[in-house]
Amino acid sequence: MECSFALTGKDYVLVAADTTSARSIIKMKIDEDKIKTLSPHLLMAYSGEPGDTVQFAEYIERNIRLYHIRNLYPLRPQSAAAWIRRSLAESLRSRHPYSVNLLVGGFDTADQSPHLYWIDYLGTMATVPYAAHGYGSYFASSLLDRYHNPDGTLEEGLATLRRAIDETSKRLIVAPGKYMVKVVDKDGIREIEL
Amino acid sequence: MSQIWKYVRVTPSGGRVRGVPARSSTTSISLPGTPDHLSSQSTLILRFVMSIMEHNGGSVVAMAGKNCVAIACDLRLGAGAQTIATNFEKIFPVTDRMYLGLAGLASDVVTLREKFRYLTNMFLIKESRPLEPSTFAHLVSSTLYERRFGPYFCEPVLAGLERTPSGSYKPYIVGTDLIGCLNFAKDFIVTGTASDKLFGVAEGLWEPDLEPEDLFETISQTLMNAVDRDAYSGWGAVVHVITPDKVITRTLKGRMD
Amino acid sequence: MNSFASRFIASSAENEIRQAKAMAEEEGLTDAMWGSDAGFGSLVTGHAFNVPAVPDPSAFLRLHTDDHADPNCKIKIQHGTTTLAFRYKGGVIVAVDSRATAGSYIASGTVKKVIEINPYLLGTMAGGAADCQYWETYLGIQCRLHELRNKERISVSAASKYLSNLVYSYKGMGLSMGTMICGWDKTGPAVFYVDSDGTRLKGDLFSVGSGSTFAYGVLDQGYSWDMSDEEAQELGRRSIYAAGHRDAFSGNTINLYHVQEDGWKFIGNYDVTKMHYEGPGPDVPGAPVGGYGYDVRTHGRFSVLPTAVPA
Repeated sequence: MECSFALTGKDYVLVAADTTSARSIIKMKIDEDKIKTLSPHLLMAYSGEPGDTVQFAEYIERNIRLYHIRNLYPLRPQSAAAWIRRSLAESLRSRHPYSVNLLVGGFDTADQSPHLYWIDYLGTMATVPYAAHGYGSYFASSLLDRYHNPDGTLEEGLATLRRAIDETSKRLIVAPGKYMVKVVDKDGIREIEL
Repeated sequence: MSQIWKYVRVTPSGGRVRGVPARSSTTSISLPGTPDHLSSQSTLILRFVMSIMEHNGGSVVAMAGKNCVAIACDLRLGAGAQTIATNFEKIFPVTDRMYLGLAGLASDVVTLREKFRYLTNMFLIKESRPLEPSTFAHLVSSTLYERRFGPYFCEPVLAGLERTPSGSYKPYIVGTDLIGCLNFAKDFIVTGTASDKLFGVAEGLWEPDLEPEDLFETISQTLMNAVDRDAYSGWGAVVHVITPDKVITRTLKGRMD
Repeated sequence: MNSFASRFIASSAENEIRQAKAMAEEEGLTDAMWGSDAGFGSLVTGHAFNVPAVPDPSAFLRLHTDDHADPNCKIKIQHGTTTLAFRYKGGVIVAVDSRATAGSYIASGTVKKVIEINPYLLGTMAGGAADCQYWETYLGIQCRLHELRNKERISVSAASKYLSNLVYSYKGMGLSMGTMICGWDKTGPAVFYVDSDGTRLKGDLFSVGSGSTFAYGVLDQGYSWDMSDEEAQELGRRSIYAAGHRDAFSGNTINLYHVQEDGWKFIGNYDVTKMHYEGPGPDVPGAPVGGYGYDVRTHGRFSVLPTAVPA
């Protein structure tokens, strides 16, 4: 089953999402990238109803890009998250709501600060130092309460993320096998091998 | 031989379809496209609405004092039994002398907060006069009733000081159900997952004409003790006491379980 | 009521109970006999429980107690819980919370979820409180009888097997138990997980209840066989706190027990909120300085939260 995790450090946000794409009991694909780059310093991990996820993520991606083109500067993480939340909240009362859960992580280049938002398909948004979606959250949230260091180095953050993923693999029957990890900091976005 | 069980025959439907507990006018609301003619169906819909209202947890209480009002909320944001965040405030300033509390579905709490901020700003721009609680209360009511057949799953509580013709201020607290039925009170208004517990404690602790400091103590004790008996509320609290010349805001340490 | 044919139909537990009940009635056992044997008097003639006279007694029970299917149901059985037990070189640590909920209402914050079966055996309580209390007390009786008959203490394995077989005979009747039977016998420290499905597992580390996943998250990461007693006690306490903080249906206080060669010892009762803000205190060995809470633990460090709640 789908799992995603994210955590912040003093000058970065780490986002991890599993890479399996499943249909009933079959793994259709094992190297799917479920973390979209929305702007040079903004990431979004998405999970939920197949079909809805990619449709919604691409809609968000294109509109954030449009904003960037029109204004010559990208939306800041706070504003982007607020707009994404609003899109989901409005979708909820439409005839065909998107069932998509998100972790939005960004680095605000204006004041050099990391930001992380937990957003669910209802349009609920929480500002958090670390977050998780899926069944993995039942194991990871308490673990991160215990081990997360808000001003840890990237190495420390990766070690904590590895703990959360290891714990999920150990206890969750339907744990995903592989994860993709991306980091956003002052230098932009890059993928990291865990 | 004594009987632990009464020998009563109960059909499966006999246990499920029973009278809708009449708590408010919201008991018969239906969702778009869902007929509301069958009692069993409306019971199901009610249960559905109740679970939405409880999904994120959270509670708000407002109290009137002598020349002051207080409003307080807890800080939990949950997703069912799991606690997601403990920094989710449910009370928002509308004017210098009026705060709005929103308990219910967290998504709608934020959406409504944004909507009311927009409407308040538009009012101030268009009317260029102060927005009084009695005016805003009807704005809240009509905004919610606009969604009569597909409501926002929020029950607002408004606390403010109303300017009288003589220039003094009088306490004004009001609550509504999720489709905007105004409920005025002289003493206190409660809403949220701990509302039944809040009623009990508030009935016991509230008294008329409390000074700001005493009102703060009363509302704090009411909220803290009520949420300690509610699984879905708590994890800290915020209290605002509104007086004619200032608003005192305090964050309370609460039980964290 | 008891047709001749029914005596010979398949030996389902339900039928056996009906038969036992009928037998008890025939032998003229009265209610008075219950009191004389501390509530276990009826067991003389087999487990004679009254069963509702409906075609499917467990469905009847479920109809009136399952608040997930029907939140308005009249009988609320205690559900939410976090319990854990683990084995390490220094014995067994047993830690539980103390919250009882009926729907969203916190009915009690002072429930004893560790059942002291005898000086060497502990049982934990998750699921139906009454089921656990009654059958683990009954297990205590049987363990004592074993001791008298065989002139030696029952092994943890045998005791847990006895309970497992017993609850299995009631399978499908609506018993709800998820328990860990913990103790020390000839083989050393032992932990067995037993539930009302009939599952019985021997293991080093278990957690049961609605908050168990949260407890596992902290427990697994901190666990090692070679921990000191202080570290082990701290881990048990810290794991139940984690569940109390994240799970709405767990919390209030932590009860901590330590089983060693000379039997179990009650270590203490700890308030979850006090653990959050202050921790167990300087006089508790193995505990960190300051509270367990994230906001408290990281106070003064960098924070991404716009309005950090003051610690």
